[in-house]
Amino acid sequence: MTTPTSDLDRVAMIVLRYMRRPLFALLFVYSLGIVGMALMPGQVVDGETTRMNLFHAFYFFTYTATTTGFGELPNGFSEEQRLWTIFCLYTGVIAWFYAIGSLINLVQNPYFIQAMDGFRFARKVKRNAEPFVIICGFGDAGSLLARGLSDHRMRAVILDSDPERIKALGVRDYTVPMPGLHADASAPKYLLAAGLEHPACQALVALTNNNDVNLKIAVMARHLNPRLQVICRSTSARHEANLRALDNVRVVDPFEIFAQLLYWAISRSELHNLNAWFVGARGVKLGAPVKVPRGSWILCGYGRMGHWIHRYFGTHGVGLRIIDPDVEAKEAGEDTRLVQAHADHAALVKAGIDDAAGVVAATDCDADNLSTLLSVTELNPAAFRIVRQNSHENQVAFDAARADLVLQHSLTTARRILKLLISPLVQELIDWLAEREPSCTEALVARLQAVVGSEPPHLWSVRLNPGGAPAVTRYLDNGGEITLGELCRDARAFPEALPSEVLAVRREGQSIMLPDRDFSLAVGDELLFCGVYWVEPMLEATLHNPYTLRYVVTGVDEPRGAVFAWLEERRRRRRRDHELNGRRPGP
Amino acid sequence: MNLERVVFGFFVILTLSLNVAFVAGSVETVSHHNVWILTFTIIVNLVAIGLKLGDRSQTGALLLASGLVAGLLLITARVVWIIADPGSGEGPGPGEMADIVSIATGALIANIIATLILVGDTLLSRR
Repeated sequence: MTTPTSDLDRVAMIVLRYMRRPLFALLFVYSLGIVGMALMPGQVVDGETTRMNLFHAFYFFTYTATTTGFGELPNGFSEEQRLWTIFCLYTGVIAWFYAIGSLINLVQNPYFIQAMDGFRFARKVKRNAEPFVIICGFGDAGSLLARGLSDHRMRAVILDSDPERIKALGVRDYTVPMPGLHADASAPKYLLAAGLEHPACQALVALTNNNDVNLKIAVMARHLNPRLQVICRSTSARHEANLRALDNVRVVDPFEIFAQLLYWAISRSELHNLNAWFVGARGVKLGAPVKVPRGSWILCGYGRMGHWIHRYFGTHGVGLRIIDPDVEAKEAGEDTRLVQAHADHAALVKAGIDDAAGVVAATDCDADNLSTLLSVTELNPAAFRIVRQNSHENQVAFDAARADLVLQHSLTTARRILKLLISPLVQELIDWLAEREPSCTEALVARLQAVVGSEPPHLWSVRLNPGGAPAVTRYLDNGGEITLGELCRDARAFPEALPSEVLAVRREGQSIMLPDRDFSLAVGDELLFCGVYWVEPMLEATLHNPYTLRYVVTGVDEPRGAVFAWLEERRRRRRRDHELNGRRPGP
Repeated sequence: MNLERVVFGFFVILTLSLNVAFVAGSVETVSHHNVWILTFTIIVNLVAIGLKLGDRSQTGALLLASGLVAGLLLITARVVWIIADPGSGEGPGPGEMADIVSIATGALIANIIATLILVGDTLLSRR
């Protein structure tokens, strides 16, 4: 431990300090009672006064003081002993009640409870050997992220300053243990307790609603463990600039992600469809993108998110009209039509709802957004309606509103972070596709449709190292060559391919997107697969079993035992000799 | 069809069959158990072990292990027979016979396991 006093020391010290007086009281009463009992003259036997020895006196006092009361043991008492028994009973019982009362008082002390929680939490984290992620902030995005990690069997350690949220964490049904602590996550002491320096810690995610706190957490983490990956939520340009100066820190702006997704949904619907299918969004079918009309859009709400949306639309040439009560004309630029009002009937008419392609209701108030939707339906039923959902609690109302597209920024943020944590290559692929022509995405979608069909996607990655793929590494180390197409063959139906596609290969820090079947593999490559669920165990067999691997590469089932290997070798040699002799007659 | 699988399967299943043939019958009755069958079982089992040497796969390792267990127990049974046989041509007494047959029954279990692994592996690879 780097801290001078551990939580255990602190807890032990609190207990000792609290229990000092009750323990002294017990000691005093016990000593007095026992000594007195030993001195009291007992019954007279054969003319001699018997006395209790010290052990019997202690035995008697023990069952009397704890109100067990076995009676006059080991022998009947004399009158003097009975008098002293009355004294022992009252003092002993009172001393015990005092001690037990103090202990109960201590257990109920909030500071003690907090110290105990901290101690148990730190012990749980320390004993955990599985890889885990630290999540600071357990709001909407934090709990969605924890749920996603749980679906991928990835552990998380959670810190939040709100005790209610940590209590709520205790009743969630996660598939893996997720210890949580009510603590200020920006205090380095709690970051260390959460396992910041733990060798199994994979990443730290700062997701609190306060930019200052997030920045502080990121800076602390960078100092305490420079090799740890940090993902930090930030919504202000000033904090973002600070964060970008730190290396190994990834900044996630929920509003930017939201605006980017919104832009993709409108202009790159095929990419939005593929992305939603990858993350497993509800009711998404691959190759069936939402049909979004072209034209000018109305944006209701021009806050931080509105700015991002405006910027994205502006750089990609999508026309935008803005409705917001507080918007300044010079803020939005010259060519943007502005309506300074709340997004009600009149404002929508003024913004030209009749000829707009669609409306984006993106204020930070769910009730406003829902009421805007109602007005739009009334004024122009053909308009495409996109709505921002702020609170996860309002899910049912948004489901009932039947908007064409609902975007929830806590959900989009959680999904983006989950992708960065579980399969960073997927996000790289999406970004790579975003920079290319839509036909590139459409070609990939067609390939995936042919492979996976209507089943949900299963994404997994394989690392070609001795731990993950021993057969492949040995084959490559012995000078063999394996192409991607050969590796993905089905051992049950040679030379047909397994229904899977390799989306990307990561080699020495470089990513190769959509490699073709002739791509030659090397030791250390990380492959990202997308396919049907049962392909993973089949491929696993190829990666681990040298005979299966050799069969899928060459199509020849080689002998396994030494005897048959020797026979095969002899046969081959004889045939070669025979051929040589046939071609070139001996002297 | 793979010739190696045919040969190996032949020896493994033959070991099992011979083992059953030896064990079948009353435990103590000498005339129910033939020493020649026991000897053949040992030889066939040793051939099966030899065929598995050099196999680097997981199932190969497990087959080798069960073959070694069966071989160890069968050879033990044969050694007990040699010690217990007085040489008069009547074979071992009922007490020793019970020992020999129970040890051979242990080998039978190992042979059953080997056969199950062989069949299971072949069915799972489905080709």
